[in-house]
Amino acid sequence: MGAETGQRLLWVVLIGLLLMTQLLGERGDWFIAYPEGWVVPLTPILNGAMDWFIQWTGWFFRGLSDTLAVPVSGVQQFLQWLPWPVVMVLTAAASWAAAGWKLALFSTLALLYMVVVGYWPESMNSLSLVILSVPLAVAVGFVFGVWGFRSGRAEKIIMPMLDMLQTIPAFAYLLPILLLFGFGPVVGLIASILFAFPPMVRNTMLGLRRVSAEVIESGLMSGATPRQLFWQVRIPSASHQLLLGANQTTMAAVSMVIIASIIGGTADIGWEVLLRIRKAQFGESILAGIVIALLAMVIDRITYGFAGEDDRESAAEEGFLRRHRYLVIGAGAAVLAFLLSNVVPAFREWPRDWVIYPADAMNQWLENFILNWSDVIGALKTVAFYYIMLPVRVGLVDTISPYSWGFEFTQPMRLGYAALVMALGAWAWFRGRVRLALAILFMGVLLYFGLTKLSWLVLVAMASALGFQLGGRKLATGTLLALLSLVLVGVWPQAMLSVYLCGIAVIISFIVGGLIGITASEVPMVSRVVRPINDTLQTMPLFVILIPFVMLFKIGEFSALLAVVAYAIVPSIRYTEHGLRNLPADVIEASTSMGCTRWQLLTQVKLPLALPVIMLGLNQTIMYAIAMLVIAALVGTNGLGQQVYIGLGDGDFGVGIIAGIGMAIIAMVADRFTQGWNAKRQAAYS
Amino acid sequence: MKIRHLLLGMTAGALACTSALAANGSSDPIKIVLNEWTGQHISAHITGQLLEKAGFNIEYVNAGAVPQFKGIAEGNLHLQPEVWDNNVGDIYPKAVESGDIVKVGPLGLEPREGWMYPSYMAEKCPGLPSHAALIECAQAFAAPDTFPKGRLITYPADWGTRSKDLVETANLPFQPIAGGSEGAMIAELKAAYAAKEPSLMMFWAPHWLHAELDMDWVDLPAAHPNCDTEPEHGFDPGVTNDCGFAQANIGKIVWKGFGEKWPGALKLVESLNIDNATQNALMLEVDSKKRDLEEVVTEWVAANEAMWSSWVAAAM
Repeated sequence: MGAETGQRLLWVVLIGLLLMTQLLGERGDWFIAYPEGWVVPLTPILNGAMDWFIQWTGWFFRGLSDTLAVPVSGVQQFLQWLPWPVVMVLTAAASWAAAGWKLALFSTLALLYMVVVGYWPESMNSLSLVILSVPLAVAVGFVFGVWGFRSGRAEKIIMPMLDMLQTIPAFAYLLPILLLFGFGPVVGLIASILFAFPPMVRNTMLGLRRVSAEVIESGLMSGATPRQLFWQVRIPSASHQLLLGANQTTMAAVSMVIIASIIGGTADIGWEVLLRIRKAQFGESILAGIVIALLAMVIDRITYGFAGEDDRESAAEEGFLRRHRYLVIGAGAAVLAFLLSNVVPAFREWPRDWVIYPADAMNQWLENFILNWSDVIGALKTVAFYYIMLPVRVGLVDTISPYSWGFEFTQPMRLGYAALVMALGAWAWFRGRVRLALAILFMGVLLYFGLTKLSWLVLVAMASALGFQLGGRKLATGTLLALLSLVLVGVWPQAMLSVYLCGIAVIISFIVGGLIGITASEVPMVSRVVRPINDTLQTMPLFVILIPFVMLFKIGEFSALLAVVAYAIVPSIRYTEHGLRNLPADVIEASTSMGCTRWQLLTQVKLPLALPVIMLGLNQTIMYAIAMLVIAALVGTNGLGQQVYIGLGDGDFGVGIIAGIGMAIIAMVADRFTQGWNAKRQAAYS
Repeated sequence: MKIRHLLLGMTAGALACTSALAANGSSDPIKIVLNEWTGQHISAHITGQLLEKAGFNIEYVNAGAVPQFKGIAEGNLHLQPEVWDNNVGDIYPKAVESGDIVKVGPLGLEPREGWMYPSYMAEKCPGLPSHAALIECAQAFAAPDTFPKGRLITYPADWGTRSKDLVETANLPFQPIAGGSEGAMIAELKAAYAAKEPSLMMFWAPHWLHAELDMDWVDLPAAHPNCDTEPEHGFDPGVTNDCGFAQANIGKIVWKGFGEKWPGALKLVESLNIDNATQNALMLEVDSKKRDLEEVVTEWVAANEAMWSSWVAAAM
């Protein structure tokens, strides 16, 4: 109890300190805004180091790049040469083998769409990069995974490296890779390998660890050498997990190939989307975006199908033809399709006149929608801006004015606000809900002054204190060092802008997504409708939804906020629904037999039980929101995401990588906090 | 055996002759850069079609604004007929200095960049286009997200941050908001124009937008070469670096080995000249009338043989 009281006291002191610094300090004081003169000039140092590095190692990377360029253009030319029916037949056969005729049908239709809208060559260029990057990423990931599994010391180095690679936004990779490897499709290939191999490492380590002791023992008993034990016992037993890792790697590679097309050099579908977006062509960009979503879905379902397949030991007893029936049928059909394509010209190249491209109709529809709904849209935006976003960013002090709220923020009103916050806090405190009371007091101060104007010193102290409560001394020091480094290199203001945008987006996503997830878990109809929408939101490159958002809501943070929400809401929906659906049946049964109503069952049994999974969803929502920040910068934001673009646009390695690492730091701190909270809660319950 | 050798030799000789006749330079494809905007696509395709007429092989390769310089410096890309020299970071000037990229001269386009507003804004702020008036009626340009400051849409952050820098050094009552992308800027402007809402935006000409919407330019203080040292130029006589924008030069650049490998092509590129009127007319066809870009350029090339025949002849 003593520790608890101490912590309470600490928080009261911290909040009091925050209030005091804000009230007594001036905007220019060093403890409120970190003085620019104190910033460590890391950017020129990093740029100098990069120049030096390129000078000494450039020949190596350039050579690697030239070597890789050969298979890249080879695969590209091969896929371009292959008639589309052949690719389609082969994909269908692979789909059938992986998951049955339904997937085969889906794949066929998906590829047909690419042909009919006229994006086949671009799709194949994207695919060729994926085809090359996946095996390389899987191989690299496997090697690192085995190394990490074998050596504890290696694991200690590998794990934080993976965290960095996965949380640094993909865009921040592009410039250093461009500088090292030179211009060309190889940049996309390298970027996608770097971005895609971490899940393979994680799954390899997990899979190898999970092999049960009995399996290993029986291997030992039958006299296996260490090498045999590894390759013939451990690896096969871990194959499920390994294939799952390969699946995740593939998906990451697909998404990165699309992002990397911003460099250029590949006439691929990602470039097509970028081109259309630059011209604000809504319909065209959606049509191209759908191609990417379909490509990703087909690849995902096929690899996932193979990963989920049961042991095929029984198949060994069947004859060759039966065992390889998909291979045989696929190969036969492919040869047939190839021969046909020499007779039918449309099989070689889809005629231009046959292309169906309904972009104009879509643009017209959007224009009408905007004209008819502009009043409602404007009102919605204004409300969100004046009553939510501005107060959080610059505080009520600067928000309330006759122009915005319709009145002046007078002295009595300020006092009234203070009294209200105090009263609410006191009420919660005496109801015994101390944490709620502290949260109310903190939010009261934050909303009054605005997140971007709070003292960095006190905020860092608060975050470290929170870290201590959630994860002990280690998390506290980690948080302190990480956040201080943001301050020292001078990106704290941008970081706070990112936190502000992400924070609001996460709260909205978590609440709305949670409600949708709950509804979906109770009503199967809703679930069926929501699932394909989620799939699309996760696989469609998110540039695409930016255009309609800008047309409706204009350039700026509100559009950016909505774009972030559209992406970050997906894990909240998914995890909530998953958590509520996969509860132990006996508990539900027991509660029902005790006479719980459906509402009681949901609120008092299901939700508390599913909370760990829902919290995992929150964690993912935060990660997604941070990842989306860079893309949201395309419609104009001012945070770290924008800094990443500036780095890319100026060819300034230092600026971009500092912002990228800054985002990684925020992501990792948020991740450790939610994990710590979850662990503490689990410990308290068991 | 002998006859076969002879035959082989003859065909080889014939092949060599035809390629020598066709073009003054290597038959390897010249890789021309395609950026993300229509104006540049037109320049690139005009250049490409003329080079093809002179017998060269052409390949169009798309490249981002910064990556293209890396590509040209390394010889992976060879020719970019339309470079705006003001949106570039460090890579381009360094590559020009080291000789990896060679400037071939101006393209002939006369660009204008600056802050523009829809002409109906003159009613709300009668002093426009003077910059003093702009400062005074900043609130007329305000929006919920920038109030009380005026809202200024700047170039996307990856095209440089000149507007933002100017607002900061001159301490103007405007909130710069990075446009994010050309698409976002156009989408925004079209929506604002339709609703007669205030709008102030960093933009450029030639651009097809000017043919569709009635826009005016703010008279910013003139650019001055010594603006960074002499405070008397610009908005505030006490501050340096607060002048209007130096207008861009639009030039043609090639890879350093270009002239050696395709001497004829270099001649053509040297004489190549495209003016604002040409680009404006073609952009209108492509972006407003939604016609196929290559088709539009082919038409133009067919109709303007008098202009380019001497350029192509010089390359043969």
